[in-house]
Amino acid sequence: MVSQKITVTNEQGMHMRPASVFSQAMTPFASDVKIVFNGNTFDAKSVMMLMSACIKCGAEIEVQCDGADEADALKKAIELIESGLGD
Amino acid sequence: MYNGIAASRGIGIGSICVITEHELKYDAVKVEDTESEKARFDSALDQFKKETSEMAEDIRKRIGPKEAEILEGHLVMMSDPTMSGEMSKMIAAGQCAESAVEAVCDMFIGMFSKMDDDLMRQRASDISDIKVSLLKILLGIQDIDISKVAPGTVLVARDLTPSMTSQIVKENVVGIITEVGGKTSHSAILARALEIPAVLSVPDITALVKDKDTAIVDGTEGNVYINPEGDILSQYIIKREEYIKKQAELKGFFGKETATSDGIKLELFCNIGTPKDAKKAVECDGEGVGLFRSEFLFMDNTRMPTEDEQFNAYKEAAQTLGGKPVIIRTLDVGGDKDIPYLNIKKEENPFLGYRAVRYCLGNKDSYMIQLRAIVRASAFGKVKIMVPLVTCVEEIRAVKEMVAEIKKDFDANGIAYDKDIEVGCMIETPSASLIADLLAKEADFFSIGTNDLTQYTMSVDRGNADVAYLYSTFQPSVLRSIKHIIECGVNAGIPVGMCGEAAADPLMIPLLISFGLTEFSVNPVLVLTARCIISKWSKAEADEITAKALALETEGEIVKLLKEAAKE
Repeated sequence: MVSQKITVTNEQGMHMRPASVFSQAMTPFASDVKIVFNGNTFDAKSVMMLMSACIKCGAEIEVQCDGADEADALKKAIELIESGLGD
Repeated sequence: MYNGIAASRGIGIGSICVITEHELKYDAVKVEDTESEKARFDSALDQFKKETSEMAEDIRKRIGPKEAEILEGHLVMMSDPTMSGEMSKMIAAGQCAESAVEAVCDMFIGMFSKMDDDLMRQRASDISDIKVSLLKILLGIQDIDISKVAPGTVLVARDLTPSMTSQIVKENVVGIITEVGGKTSHSAILARALEIPAVLSVPDITALVKDKDTAIVDGTEGNVYINPEGDILSQYIIKREEYIKKQAELKGFFGKETATSDGIKLELFCNIGTPKDAKKAVECDGEGVGLFRSEFLFMDNTRMPTEDEQFNAYKEAAQTLGGKPVIIRTLDVGGDKDIPYLNIKKEENPFLGYRAVRYCLGNKDSYMIQLRAIVRASAFGKVKIMVPLVTCVEEIRAVKEMVAEIKKDFDANGIAYDKDIEVGCMIETPSASLIADLLAKEADFFSIGTNDLTQYTMSVDRGNADVAYLYSTFQPSVLRSIKHIIECGVNAGIPVGMCGEAAADPLMIPLLISFGLTEFSVNPVLVLTARCIISKWSKAEADEITAKALALETEGEIVKLLKEAAKE
C-alpha cells in the first residue's frame, strides 16, 4: 500500500462536483482507493462516501491506494487534489 | 393573508391548481423471490436515470446549465455504487425494493442533515427527492402533468419535486406556493430562473385552498392572499403592473454607464464574499468590486489559509473582473466574527476590542501572509488593499510599511505585482472620521463603512432590540460624519466610496451625490436599481434636498423629507 498526506485547497472542499470528479477519476483503477480524514476511512470511489466525510477547504487528508496500480492511482489522486478538483 | 419565505420576487395573481400528492404507501413484506425483486429494482433505477437525465437536459436547454446541475447531481448520486449497491444488498437479503430504497436514502438523509455545512445539508433534500422519485416509479404513481395547466395558474403544492418543476411552462404559471422549501431549495432556484413569483414554506397551504380559488402571490414580501377582498385585489393589480414596468425599466440600465441626470459619471461597484460572487458581480453589471470580504477564506477553515490558497482566491476574483478594480478588505476578524483557531480571547466588549486591523497588526506574521497574497494577485488585475477599522494614522502607516517591505522582497526575487497597488482606509469609526483629513494624506482612497460607522457614532448595538431604534444612518450625527469624510477625501484629491448598505438606499443616494461620493458599492442584485436611482438625480437637485435635510434636527424629520423627495 502507498499513501500520501495532502491538504484540500479548492474553495468548496469535497462537495458534489469535486467529489464526483474525484470518485470518477479513481474508479478505473484496480486498486482500492481510500481517504482517511479525522480518523475515519472513506471509499474514494464513492461520491456519497466522499461527501459524507464533510471535507472542507484546508482539511488535511491522507490518500491510501492498495493494489496492482497503486502508484499510478496515488499519483493521479494527488494531481487532482492539487489542481483543485475542477472547482 | 398567509406568510412564507419570499423565494422569487414579483407579484402573481391567478387561479389556484392544487397538486395533491399520492401517498407513497407499500407493504414492507419479506420477499421470497429476491431475483425478480432485484430485477424490478434495477429496472426502476434505469427508468429513474433515464427520466432524470431527460429532465436535466430539458432544463439545461430551457433554463440553463446552472439550474440543471441539481438533477445532474441526483444522477451522480444514484450512479454511485454505494447507493444502489446498499439497496441491492438489502433486496438480496429479502427486503422489498421500496423499503430498501427508503432505508438507504433515510440513512444518508440523516447523515447529511446533521452536517455543520449548509451546502452539505442541501444534499439531504436532494436525497429526499431521489427517494420520492424512486418510490413513485416502483409504485407506478404518475405525477400530475403540470405542463398542461391553463394560463394564469398559481401552483400550490406541499413541495415541488424536480420532475414537477421541469414541466412548468413559464407562460402559464403566474405563481408558486409550497409548504416546504427555502431560498436555496430546488423549487426556489427554478422559480427565480423562470422569473415566476414564489412564496415557500407557507404552513398547511394545500389544506387551506381548493382548485380555482383566486390567489395573490407576493414573492417580494413573502405574502399570500387567498380569495382577496376587491380592494386588496385592485391594489395588487396596480402593484403588479408597477413591478413589471420597473423590471423592464431596470433591464434598460444593463450595460449603461452610471451617471447623474446632468451627466456626472460615478462608479458603481459590488460587495462580494467569495471569488464565485465575483462572477455574480460581473453578471449583474457591476463596474468593479468595492468590497471583497476576505473572511470566508478564514471562516470556512480549520487553520490559517496559506499564502497560495489566499493568492488563488484573490487572483480568481481579479481575473473574473478582467481589469476592473477589486478592493480587497484585509481580515476583519473579531467583533461578532469569531474564528476559533485564531484563539482571540473572550472579551467584555468585542466591538471595542481586539478586532480587524488591531488583530492583524498584533499578528504581523499572519497579516504578512495575507498582504503578500494580495500584492501577488495584483499582477492579474486592478487589485487594491483596504484596511478595516482604522482609528489612527499609525495603523495605516504600519500597513503601508508592510506593503513597501513586500514590494522590496518581490523586486529582489522577481515576483510580479502591480507597482501602483493602492492602499486605502475603511472609514467606519468616529475617530477615523474626525481625523479623515490626516488619514487622507496617507491613504490612496477611502471607503465609508456605514454599518459600523452608524453603530459606533450612535453607540448602539443594532442587534439589541431595546436600542435598535437609534440605529439609523439618517441620524444627523451620522450624516454630518459622512459629509465630513467625503469632504476630506475630495479636498485631498482621493476617491471616496461607500460599501455599507446605505450606498444602495434610495433615500441616501441624493445625499451621497451632493456630498461628492465617487464610488457606490452595493449588493450585486442592487446594481441596476442603484444605477436607475442615480440617473434620476441631477447634482443641483441633490444639493437642494441635501441642504434642506441637513438643516433639520431629527432623524424622523430627515427621513420624512427624503421620502417625499425620493425617486424610485
